[in-house]
Amino acid sequence: MLEVTELCAGYLGHDVVHDVGFRVGDGEVVAIIGSNGAGKTTVFRAVAGLLRGRGTVTFGGEAIGGCKAHEVARRGLAFVPADRHLFPQMSVGENLDLGAYPMRPDRDRRQLVFDLFPRLAERERQAAGTMSGGEQQMLTVGRALMSHPRLVMLDEPTTGLAPKLAAEAYAALGRLRDHGLTIVVAEQQVPLALGLADRGYVLEDGRVQLAGTSAELAGNPDVQRAYLGVA
Amino acid sequence: MRAVVFDGIVLGLQFGLLGVGLTLVYGLGGVLNLAHGQIAVLGAIVTALRIDAGTPTVLAVLIGLAAAGAVALLLDVTLLVPVFRRTGESRVLLGLLLMLGVGFIIEGVLGWRYPIEALSLRIGGGPIDVLGVAMRSGALLASAIALGAAAGLVVFFRFTAFGKAVRSVIQDETGAQLCGVSPATVRAVVLTLSGVLAALVAVTRSMTGPVNVHAGVDLTILALIVAVVGGLGSVAGAFAAGVLLGIVNTISAHFIGSYITTIVLLGAAAVTIVARPAGLLGKGRE
Amino acid sequence: MDGARRASRIRHTGLRGPGTPGLARAYAPIVIAGALAALLPLRYGDSRTMMGVIVGGALFAAYAIGFNVIFGSTGQLFLCVGALAGVGGYSSALLSDRAGLPLLVAIPLACLIAAGVGGLLSWIAVSRSLGVIFTGIVTLAFSLAFHNLLLGRRDLTRGETGLTIDAGEDTILGDLVPPYYVLLGVVVIYLVVYRGLQRSRTGWAFRALRDDEVAAELTGVDVKRYRVLAGLAGSAMIGLAGALYAHSEGFISPTTYEFGHVDVSVLVMLAFGGLGSLLGPVIGAGVFTILDEWLVWSNEYRLMIYGAVVVALFLGLPRGVAPTVVSLVKRRRERDRGESNVSGKRASR
Repeated sequence: MLEVTELCAGYLGHDVVHDVGFRVGDGEVVAIIGSNGAGKTTVFRAVAGLLRGRGTVTFGGEAIGGCKAHEVARRGLAFVPADRHLFPQMSVGENLDLGAYPMRPDRDRRQLVFDLFPRLAERERQAAGTMSGGEQQMLTVGRALMSHPRLVMLDEPTTGLAPKLAAEAYAALGRLRDHGLTIVVAEQQVPLALGLADRGYVLEDGRVQLAGTSAELAGNPDVQRAYLGVA
Repeated sequence: MRAVVFDGIVLGLQFGLLGVGLTLVYGLGGVLNLAHGQIAVLGAIVTALRIDAGTPTVLAVLIGLAAAGAVALLLDVTLLVPVFRRTGESRVLLGLLLMLGVGFIIEGVLGWRYPIEALSLRIGGGPIDVLGVAMRSGALLASAIALGAAAGLVVFFRFTAFGKAVRSVIQDETGAQLCGVSPATVRAVVLTLSGVLAALVAVTRSMTGPVNVHAGVDLTILALIVAVVGGLGSVAGAFAAGVLLGIVNTISAHFIGSYITTIVLLGAAAVTIVARPAGLLGKGRE
Repeated sequence: MDGARRASRIRHTGLRGPGTPGLARAYAPIVIAGALAALLPLRYGDSRTMMGVIVGGALFAAYAIGFNVIFGSTGQLFLCVGALAGVGGYSSALLSDRAGLPLLVAIPLACLIAAGVGGLLSWIAVSRSLGVIFTGIVTLAFSLAFHNLLLGRRDLTRGETGLTIDAGEDTILGDLVPPYYVLLGVVVIYLVVYRGLQRSRTGWAFRALRDDEVAAELTGVDVKRYRVLAGLAGSAMIGLAGALYAHSEGFISPTTYEFGHVDVSVLVMLAFGGLGSLLGPVIGAGVFTILDEWLVWSNEYRLMIYGAVVVALFLGLPRGVAPTVVSLVKRRRERDRGESNVSGKRASR
């Protein structure tokens, strides 16, 4: 469904990401793992249209390389950024409704989001800016789901989440995968990501260093040493 | 005293409407529209010209409003494009300076082609008694219009999908983009709206006194003060600040003097910036 | 880019210690410009009107250099140049006529008062971390408030009708031609000071903080201190010019120092001549003084043209007409010389 080839992107004329390529098939869960500063966020931002990059990005057979961010979103590619970008003075409900824009908010979808994240249901009228980090994270994911996306990209969804909440979040992602949603997730917390994903790519220094199924990656000694804390 | 306060509220509602247009545009993208007052005057002068040509008043007003909106839209799709391509302080500075220049151009052109033109809408009917104070019908109509506009804006921003989209761009532009909101479209609509609102203020002002081609600068400064005190980017803040400053204005002008009054209003803006930049209800964008 | 990288980039941005490329070459433009300008009265010394025009030109050049120090060097948008000049002008007038102080005391004192006001504004902007917009609004508010103060305190300032100043009438300032040389001398001094600043560590700090404030802080530049310094110095320059003008004209009114008259012109002059350049203010002042004479028959025309100039300049030639032309000429010359160096270094300052 999503195919990225030879992507180069960066800031202020200086490339941070070089010749990155990866594939995501329908219904798959793909993990992009790498340490801080590896370039994961840059890749996602370029795909989402928030950043100008060079290379080819194809989504559902259509080239979206030059599209602006809102066009990418309207085509069904939702991006859940690490720094959330919620609307602080709007309520949870209003944030979710905007996720559906320009379509009318779907009652059923909303209910699905509340089922996945009961805490959000409790705080429906609360201003998003006053919620805790974990709740905001859930809201960001929920907001992305409101538009019935075909693919969701999540950038380090567990940042700042206590282990229990992180596990809950991944459980929710698992349920979404069962619903047929295609997911790409960037993670530093590798065990969680590989536990959910079918395949993965290792990104370091702006380049794809390794690719394979999660089993292959988990079994790879370099990966184990670098990310799984195995000596 | 009550009469003074009522006059203050009438003035304040118009202040608020004036500030709203400015604060909206700033909240959207950091552009301080220093041509706001001049655009307002442009709308008023177009209305005056149409009335001179024989067009019925209401239609003339609508044409004037449309003209102001059109000019604002034109600016959005031409001059402001390079402004919005930049970010941060670079955008703010360029926007400010460009709009300053545009204000001069508009005032210069109006003053050159129609130097003696002015808008003055006479509203018939004698004074109406409100809670014991005799108010001019023109003042009451102006207030009603301002209140109506305010109500319309509230409905628009709270209950319509597009209105919420506008608020989303103001609160987090990136987040709005990720939700499928096109900031460029929102900006175009809001800019047009701000032009129309500005002209609406000029029209309501003309109900209590003539508005001539040179009134633009004063209106811009007033809009600036109201928007700053209310909190740049906050629509509710602009109205609250407007009414407050309107009352302060009339009380001060009545009991002290006009020069001091201006200084007081300017001081209010300066003090707000120094002490509480977020203003009365602002979100602290700076 | 992370902080360390930005900091090292700043360190290598044109650090010129004192003594690098020729003292003579650095100050030559000032000497040449000054000499040429000094010749003008030979042509126009008989005409009261023309002398008035070139005095105005020198005055605005002085204003523009002061504004260049504040805005061009440290990015503080002071929309109160006229007001600062007015502080200088009215203070000096009141101190000499009302308080009876001799001119040689009143004028420097007025200059200090203006410096104090400007420095205070800088300090407020800096301690409250006001960005460009808020600094602009606060200084604009000050400018307008000062204007209203002048209008309101008729007992002191004679309000709208203006103030006739007796002090200085019997000095050289009271004659026709000498005030021009006084102001010209002041402009030359300002230019020398500006050039000196540019080549000093202070100038380097100014450039650094304008380029990238965060990186400048990381390299140890005390941004706050330098901003206030620039505010003090620039305001002193503006205030002194305003005071000298007041005594040479013998008459000032709120209109002399209002935003529409002073600040608008200074902005346009500097936009044209090039913000942050040495002779930019002078070139801009020259061009627009001439233009103003042309347009004196229509205030609306003036407004329209100034507005169009502002828009065109800030959109198309953000560095100003003069520097763009200079760099174009330089590149032409380099190409002619057959050098393949197209690195496009900054225009000569």
